Amino acid sequence: MTQPLEVCETALKTALRLGASEAEAAVLGGTAVSVDVERGQVKTSSRVTDVGLSVRAILQGRIGFAYSNRLTLQQAAQVAKAAAKAAQASVRDEKWSSLPDPGAIPSMEGTFDPAITRVTAEEMVEMVTAMADSAAQFDRRVLPAFGEASASTHQLAIVNSCGIEAEDAGTVFALSLGAMARSGSRVSPLCSEVELSRRFEPNPNRVGLEAARLAVSSLNAGPTEPGSFPVLFDQRALQALLGFTVVSSLRGDMVHRGRSAYAGKLGELIASEHLSLSDDGTLSGGLLSGRVDMEGVPKRRTPLIVRGELESFLYDNYWGRVGGRGSTGNAARGGGPLRSPGYATLPRIEPTNMVVEAGVLSEEELIEEVKNGYYVRDVQGAHQSNPESGEFSVVAVPAFRIVDGEVRHSVPGAMVVGNAYDLVRRIRALGKESRQVGFLVAPKVVFDDVRVVAA
Amino acid sequence: MKPLGLSFMPVSDTLRSALEQAMDVRASYGEIRAQQTASTTVTVRDGSVEALSQAVESGAAIRILLNGAWGFSSTNSLEKKGVIQAAKEACRMAAAASMAVREPARIAEVKTVTERVKVRVKTDPRSVDVSEKLRNLIDLNKSCFASDPRVRSVTVSYADLATDQTLVTSEGTILEQEKLFVWNYAWVTAKEDGHLTSARDEIGAHGYELFESNRPETVAQRVVGKALNQLRAKPAKGGTYPCVLGKNVVGVFAHEAVGHICEADLTLAGSAVQGMLGKRIAGEAVTIADSALLSEGFGAIKYDDEGVPGERTALIDRGVLVGLMHNRETAAKMSAKPTGNARAQDFRVPPLIRMRNTYFEPSDHSFEELLEGIDHGYYLESFRGGQANLDGTFTVGIQNAFEISRGELGLPVRNLGISGNTLATLREVEACGRGLELEYGRCGKGQFMFQSSGGPPVRVRKILVGGTD
Repeated sequence: MTQPLEVCETALKTALRLGASEAEAAVLGGTAVSVDVERGQVKTSSRVTDVGLSVRAILQGRIGFAYSNRLTLQQAAQVAKAAAKAAQASVRDEKWSSLPDPGAIPSMEGTFDPAITRVTAEEMVEMVTAMADSAAQFDRRVLPAFGEASASTHQLAIVNSCGIEAEDAGTVFALSLGAMARSGSRVSPLCSEVELSRRFEPNPNRVGLEAARLAVSSLNAGPTEPGSFPVLFDQRALQALLGFTVVSSLRGDMVHRGRSAYAGKLGELIASEHLSLSDDGTLSGGLLSGRVDMEGVPKRRTPLIVRGELESFLYDNYWGRVGGRGSTGNAARGGGPLRSPGYATLPRIEPTNMVVEAGVLSEEELIEEVKNGYYVRDVQGAHQSNPESGEFSVVAVPAFRIVDGEVRHSVPGAMVVGNAYDLVRRIRALGKESRQVGFLVAPKVVFDDVRVVAA
Repeated sequence: MKPLGLSFMPVSDTLRSALEQAMDVRASYGEIRAQQTASTTVTVRDGSVEALSQAVESGAAIRILLNGAWGFSSTNSLEKKGVIQAAKEACRMAAAASMAVREPARIAEVKTVTERVKVRVKTDPRSVDVSEKLRNLIDLNKSCFASDPRVRSVTVSYADLATDQTLVTSEGTILEQEKLFVWNYAWVTAKEDGHLTSARDEIGAHGYELFESNRPETVAQRVVGKALNQLRAKPAKGGTYPCVLGKNVVGVFAHEAVGHICEADLTLAGSAVQGMLGKRIAGEAVTIADSALLSEGFGAIKYDDEGVPGERTALIDRGVLVGLMHNRETAAKMSAKPTGNARAQDFRVPPLIRMRNTYFEPSDHSFEELLEGIDHGYYLESFRGGQANLDGTFTVGIQNAFEISRGELGLPVRNLGISGNTLATLREVEACGRGLELEYGRCGKGQFMFQSSGGPPVRVRKILVGGTD
């Protein structure tokens, strides 16, 4: 196979030869081996490799983009040509300054585990079976509905005409299970547990048991009392609520386009003094840690909120230059409205590992702290929040009523409503144990005066 | 648009012979789905053109059923050698999975097909010059800003995807299908007196004629209108109220709340309608179907990605649960007929049970009749998004809504969610209005998929409104 950097160099040279004033070429993608279970038994085993080349060619501020999932040198030249042609057909972006310059790349440990590249489908079949069985054996009312084990390896090679030449690689091993519990006519919601790690240290029994426990505890339902209460949010609920609101407003593009609630508020108190939040692309073992971002800019740690005070925003190269503050190494690729693979999309600003400084309380102490309120494990509908205004109106599921400092029963159908920008000003307490869910590395958090709506 | 020197599709003979050569003798079924997709995508934000992208990608997906377990692999190669290698990998994967099979998967029998299917459109997006697409998008961006000085930021995105797909199966199906999608998205941010808000607009079609009835100024007026409405809107009250769901909201309710739990894979996994086929689950006013036959919808397909003909699948007929959406595997398991709902995002993934065009059947009540007699409630005009859980808990985020006061539309209210349990809510549906209008959207069930949904306005006796007042 042709070396990724060689493919990149060929594309870069071709784009420049065709008249591009600047160009960038990246080979990225990866391989995933996965085994999934449905209704407690193994269904499919799959192996997918998806690596592609993406090229940006800039002609006097006009930006062209093209990609291909075929990695021959001949194809590299074709893609470069297509990008240059697209640039010719495009319109000048007056804000364009230039591609990023090289920077000092941090040495990273703990992001690549060769054991993950070696795990076989057969071993994963055993793991998912064990995971589903431990859920089913926990309680006969539990159905392990959907689950998966996956071992993935990802790679990046990137060069640009400003002198960037970087490579990175990483691994992630994931186990997940969604379980339901049924008792007569009562049905629990689908309750999931997910375990993601950069190292190969799977614990299928724990994942199965956690999902099963949550499903069974959801069967014991009781009434929802409407009103304003202290509410304990699990990491998954926090990640969903903050992801579509606060995180959006911390993005440099939103700030400079007048779409952020935090625009013009640097140095101001925007959250409770209990809240310190940083983005750390170099966090040891972090799911989104790496040497460089998707433009080849070194990853780093950026304090965003320090004891409630707004300290910085997140930038990629483009918006970092527009804002005059430089990239913070937060360029990501992949996803977008059409859920495209990384090589098929342009860079855009995304958090890496967003770390909330932990507090001192155990889970039991947090529940006692709530005393009379709710414990929200996850929410549904957070993506419908209004990122500009911060308004959210979501279903809390699974969620539980806390009375006299004890978790009493689940509250099917309870809604939690409010404004995320106000919510972060009302943090009462933070847990001492952090966990990563998606981009968020955080403890569980108790907020005051959260509005709960019920039928 | 010129493909990047990849303008060949491997002839189905090559795929068939690759499948024959690679298939493990123990395998009971095998398929290769080869694709080539040409796309144009571009985003204009606040007048600046973010890179224009034109690309072609190709690859093949291989599925093998062996001893009751599935193996899957995907390759970016369309050459025989690469496809054979990937097919052998899929066989190895199936063999690994089959070690732990307790209840072997089977697939329902279907007639094999040999056919070439073209999408009929007025204007093929591939025939439209890219400069015209860019100009249209830039005009839309300008029109939004020109509509009102309170507009602060505008993002508009355009995408067209043209796919040529060949499906060959070990049973003898050879199906060449074209897929065309044209999609346009607008997001407008408006600000007044320090209050910031936003609204979205999403439209689609199979051909570029989408923009004949959606001129830049028409779309701009629509989306800016929604954002400005929110600026003058007040928060809704939280609690249970009678509501009239607008056409746009009815569709997302049909899709999220009803559709997902009627996808047979999710029903088998324990969704809220498990064991309810043939039972009354809603009032007489409710008829809901998922159809591949509404040609203007994003979900119009002649065959699904397993080669099963598309059809109109009735889910609820006058209140009775009469059907589920199936692929060949769930159909075999439940002794039902496959309904043509197996769809795959692309060659990187196997097909899943996905909706096509999901809708409430209209009836004959006028809009005024639907409002009649509601002393205090809400008219929910357009949505921001929706989500559902298997237990039937659904939520729909509403971006635009109005109060209903004494049977008439009142002041606008903003940014609220509605939620409830699907079955309980269906029982509260009192009446359906006139006209079927489809919405164009994207659904993420692990994979991305273009789909449509819709219906007439529908009156619901009570629904939980997550208002902040």
